[in-house]
Amino acid sequence: MQDTVLIVGAGPAGLSAAAQVAGVGYKAVLVEKEDVLGGAPIISGYARLVPSGEWAKDAIGRMVKRVEDDANVAIHKGTKVTELNGEPGKFTAKLSNGKSVKAGAVVLATGFTHFDSVNKPEWGFGTFPDVVTTTQVEQMVTAGKIACPSDGRTPERVAILLCVGSRDRQIGREWCSKICCTVSTNLAMEIKELSPKTQVFVYYMDIRTFGLYEDRFYWKSQEEFRTKFIKARIAEVTAAPDGRLLLKGEDTLVKRPIVIPFDMVVHAVGMDPNMDNPEIAEVFGVSLENHGFIERGEHYTNTCGTTRPGIYSCGAAYGPETIDDSISQGMAAGARAIADLHGLTRKAG
Amino acid sequence: MAIHEKSLIEPERLLRHDTLVVDGVDVSGHWNTMITPRTITDYDDDFEAVIQRYPGAENVHRCWQCGSCTNSCTMYAQNVQFNPRYWIYAVRTGLKEEIIKDKDIIWQCVSCNKCTSICPKDVRPEGVMKALSHWLEDEGHTPKSPSRVFDEEFTEQIYARGRIEDSLVLLNFFRKTGQPLVPQWLRVFGVRLMQHLPVGLGMRFARNFFFAPRTRSWGRTGEVLKQYVREQKEATHG
Repeated sequence: MQDTVLIVGAGPAGLSAAAQVAGVGYKAVLVEKEDVLGGAPIISGYARLVPSGEWAKDAIGRMVKRVEDDANVAIHKGTKVTELNGEPGKFTAKLSNGKSVKAGAVVLATGFTHFDSVNKPEWGFGTFPDVVTTTQVEQMVTAGKIACPSDGRTPERVAILLCVGSRDRQIGREWCSKICCTVSTNLAMEIKELSPKTQVFVYYMDIRTFGLYEDRFYWKSQEEFRTKFIKARIAEVTAAPDGRLLLKGEDTLVKRPIVIPFDMVVHAVGMDPNMDNPEIAEVFGVSLENHGFIERGEHYTNTCGTTRPGIYSCGAAYGPETIDDSISQGMAAGARAIADLHGLTRKAG
Repeated sequence: MAIHEKSLIEPERLLRHDTLVVDGVDVSGHWNTMITPRTITDYDDDFEAVIQRYPGAENVHRCWQCGSCTNSCTMYAQNVQFNPRYWIYAVRTGLKEEIIKDKDIIWQCVSCNKCTSICPKDVRPEGVMKALSHWLEDEGHTPKSPSRVFDEEFTEQIYARGRIEDSLVLLNFFRKTGQPLVPQWLRVFGVRLMQHLPVGLGMRFARNFFFAPRTRSWGRTGEVLKQYVREQKEATHG
């Protein structure tokens, strides 16, 4: 029992944790509620990943294959953990497929849920077919064609609205989702590559392409791909008589109202806490922080910890996170779990 | 309701009919004053490319509106209407009318290049100011500059004869720019020169050339001087 780690969620973080656990000779049990492994990049059909530029299905596909080929990893797809009992070193989990798992430690790699744009009705998602989300555009890029959903035409002009479901007290999203600026500037370049005549405008409050994303994504999209950045938080998306979309707002740099026609409007949706988090918190006996993400334990000496000993977390379960950092954190959580199990064994022996 | 604070609104946005009757009600004069909205209803996607074809404005698309150019600007310190950041934005979004509105200010750039030195994105705003001045001239929003008139005369002569005649270039340049060959300042300069020429001095030079007068009360001073020099030489060399 003390050589097994139960890992919940098979996205980048969970896959990385499983590989780490198995890699040092421990056993990993990977439980995934969806029928496929890979998490959001696979389920939502992401195109090329930031910052590697690799196609999601190739990059994440390698991570999936690595754990599938590892005899030390047992995988349960389409399965949830329904009950967890015990203490560090001896947990017993009941699964929704009727099986039960004995494990010494648990890693919650339960990730996030994309913000649902219908919660910002003034921005037209669900009302106008040509208002889409970044996830949908990712799928268009994967399919190799940028087209307005309403009639399939190639858009002459695309607007990407940043901070949809982020930094918005009105809807209780008081966090920055961290990745949308970079993802959006990357998408702007991908749109331009597929449709060179399309003009892409990004409507922003701030541009937060942190760290090395600054020149590789923000500057590059502006300087090489001619993306235009307009400082305005859009008030409303409506339809023009000719069927195009009208973006209403204030251009704060010129202190003037704007009503600009667009063919397609893209919501750069933020990262919500996993919609199952209340259930996860109850089943695993961990607390959620005030935004609804998994609450971090004391970080300095209880790295990857939660509020319950023996249960660890990583990646976007803790809050908005990049894929690369989720992978690193998954590895860290796996290592942390093993280290604690090793400590228990040593104490017992 | 009459609009009292008209001074706060650009004159071209104020609409007024001297006589107007609406539904039988006489609303002539200021009673019908309306203000056209400032709403931006579209972008001109091509304007930026037009301006970028002028030397100096090649990097205008790099601007991210930090305002460093305006903050460092020599002219902005004199006149807050002189705002390079704003004009760069107008170029990027195609707000041509905003550029035209400021046609009498943009050329005032003194090319101190503080903006170009400080710009974190290497936009080179000073070059953009020059480009805008040239564009305004090309489009006829501002009159031809003297340097352009000169260039045209110069070029025309080359086209016609393969060479220029300096005096003809200058003559035609002065004529085309409406400048007299002898401008007012040159005339004043000549008159003052004549007025203050030392004519008497010249005449004295001439008289002395012919008559070689002696210095007043020179007497025997010359002989005494000669004697002294001789004695000194003997005392020194023996």
